Amino acid sequence: MNYAYSVTDRSARVATTVSEHRQALEKQFARILSEYGAAISRLAFSYEAVPSVREELVQEIALAIWQALAHFRGDCSERTFVYRIAHNRGLTHVGRRRPPHQPLEDLEESEQPVDPRPHLEEQVARTDQRARLMSAIQSLPVTHRQMIVLALEGLSHAEIAEVMGITENNVAVRLTRIRKALKDALGERS
Amino acid sequence: MTEENITNDRELDTWREQWNSVAEPPAEFQRKVQERIKRQDRRFVLGNLLSVIAFLGMLIFALFLRHRSTWMGPGWSTGVCVLVLVAAGFRINALRGTWRPQSQSTRAFVELWHKRVAARIRLLRISIYLSLGWIIFCAVLTAANWATIGQDVGAHPKSWVALLVACVLMQYPVIWYGVAWLRRRKLAELNEVTKILDEMDGKSFP
Repeated sequence: MNYAYSVTDRSARVATTVSEHRQALEKQFARILSEYGAAISRLAFSYEAVPSVREELVQEIALAIWQALAHFRGDCSERTFVYRIAHNRGLTHVGRRRPPHQPLEDLEESEQPVDPRPHLEEQVARTDQRARLMSAIQSLPVTHRQMIVLALEGLSHAEIAEVMGITENNVAVRLTRIRKALKDALGERS
Repeated sequence: MTEENITNDRELDTWREQWNSVAEPPAEFQRKVQERIKRQDRRFVLGNLLSVIAFLGMLIFALFLRHRSTWMGPGWSTGVCVLVLVAAGFRINALRGTWRPQSQSTRAFVELWHKRVAARIRLLRISIYLSLGWIIFCAVLTAANWATIGQDVGAHPKSWVALLVACVLMQYPVIWYGVAWLRRRKLAELNEVTKILDEMDGKSFP
């Protein structure tokens, strides 16, 4: 009787701990989504041009973060962790699916209606610059895209090195070359 | 700081500004993600439940056949058990070293991904040999028990052989087509992963 009671008691305690742990994870996940949601969307832009597929990709990245969150032991910063998972998922997306490339400029134009408010020309110019930058980033090889995106997101060389698994020196050298390649690609598009 | 460095940093700042104005999360992003998590949890439970039911069903069927008086029953049940064990053994062996749930960097992730795809391709090749072996086993079992089976069905061996060959010929193109399609996809994926690894090694650097 006592044994049965202690087993029941222990399983109830385990169930409570599991449920508390899950709740804490859910809270952390909701915070990560609100904090990094925009960054994840931007990152998805560099991997996928088609809006509907991109939305799917954003959700898949979020799902991958949720799955990995239980294994996150804090051995790197949360920011590095999120970007690493997001980029890994983006890479998988590129590796598994090679759709015919659709120029981003066309999609951007069809997606964003012209704003009737003042400073219209300025806004149109800004949208155009943005679309050119996105298109130029998309034309880079996938690992270069990843590196420039991390730099644009404001990660330091050390953080980029940690995400990518290469040395800081290597990051600095490669970034210089990638920036040049991006500049050339932008030049071609202007 | 040199003039070139300052220009470079201004350039990066301009790009950052443009980049940061690119996107906001899609509408109802969090709700959609929560729905996907729930769907995935349900799929996970259902998938495991179905696997357990299928495995137990097969074992019960094999045990049931074991008590039949002919040689066919024990032979078939042993065959099913051996097939399950061999298939599981091959699967574990082929996927060895590809279990890690997460990697410490993108490079480690891509290396693991490469291993996983290569293991899947190996597994597909093995599954073809395994299915061929299974068909041969079934054919030998039927031939060895023909005296009993022939009496049961009351048909001429020739017409039975013709029927069996027709069955195999009908099934195999479908299986071959499926495996070949999957293998083609996996080979394309392997090609992409190798390309990404090469890019990481700087082999295709501009």
